[in-house]
Amino acid sequence: MKCVCTRATLLHFMPGPNQKRTNSALWLGLLITVLGPLSNFLYYSKIPAAVLPWLNLAIPAIGLLLVLIGVVRASRQSQLYRGKILGSIFTVLAALLFAGSAWLFIHVRDVPRSAGAPQTGQRVPDFTLPDSTNQTVSLAQLFSAAPGMAQPKALLLVFYRGYW
Amino acid sequence: MAISVDPPDVSEHLRQEQGYTFTFLSDPNTEVIRRYDLLHKAGGPKEHDISRPAEFLVDRSGTVRWENFTEDIRVRPRAEQMLAAARAIQW
Repeated sequence: MKCVCTRATLLHFMPGPNQKRTNSALWLGLLITVLGPLSNFLYYSKIPAAVLPWLNLAIPAIGLLLVLIGVVRASRQSQLYRGKILGSIFTVLAALLFAGSAWLFIHVRDVPRSAGAPQTGQRVPDFTLPDSTNQTVSLAQLFSAAPGMAQPKALLLVFYRGYW
Repeated sequence: MAISVDPPDVSEHLRQEQGYTFTFLSDPNTEVIRRYDLLHKAGGPKEHDISRPAEFLVDRSGTVRWENFTEDIRVRPRAEQMLAAARAIQW
């Protein structure tokens, strides 16, 4: 079949004002940025927790970068890509989400150094405190055998932040 | 054994809710937390002093055999990790 390249068929391949491409970088960027705060739920997964803070920060950073790429596309290749107005809205949203993640990253690391805390090989100070039933319990008591149980070889002391 | 600034009734609620069988101790005045140098000043809600997260494996003589201090409050050792640490030690 012979192709008759009329003006209409040519126009089909030349993006007109209403035939611009969707600026996928903008949408993908915002989606990834939103996944940043959601990635905090990964602490409940089996992923090694030590890598997660960096992942929580990297995800919104990548998302923001993609949004910015979308913005550059929309302004430099405005005849090809949509998203000039959307780009500025998405930039603000992505920047806020990234700023929130960065603030959290710094805030959760605001932990005292505890240089004076007991280290391996050192003795821990004994103490007496009320348990959850208001009975006074000492560290030494916790090492004594419970009825019908062998004396524990070791004890795991877990200090936690509280306010549950 | 777990220690926090939570009052006994709060710890008891948590213990029952989660089905924990270990002992929860309450240190609302941060007396022991301070003695262990684990005080996180104004780290809790409404600028309340709390304990920073820390874990110690202690033998019968009261000597620390393993400890863990996180740099990020979201990063805590999992139960399997602490059990593995306990198993790796000659008691």
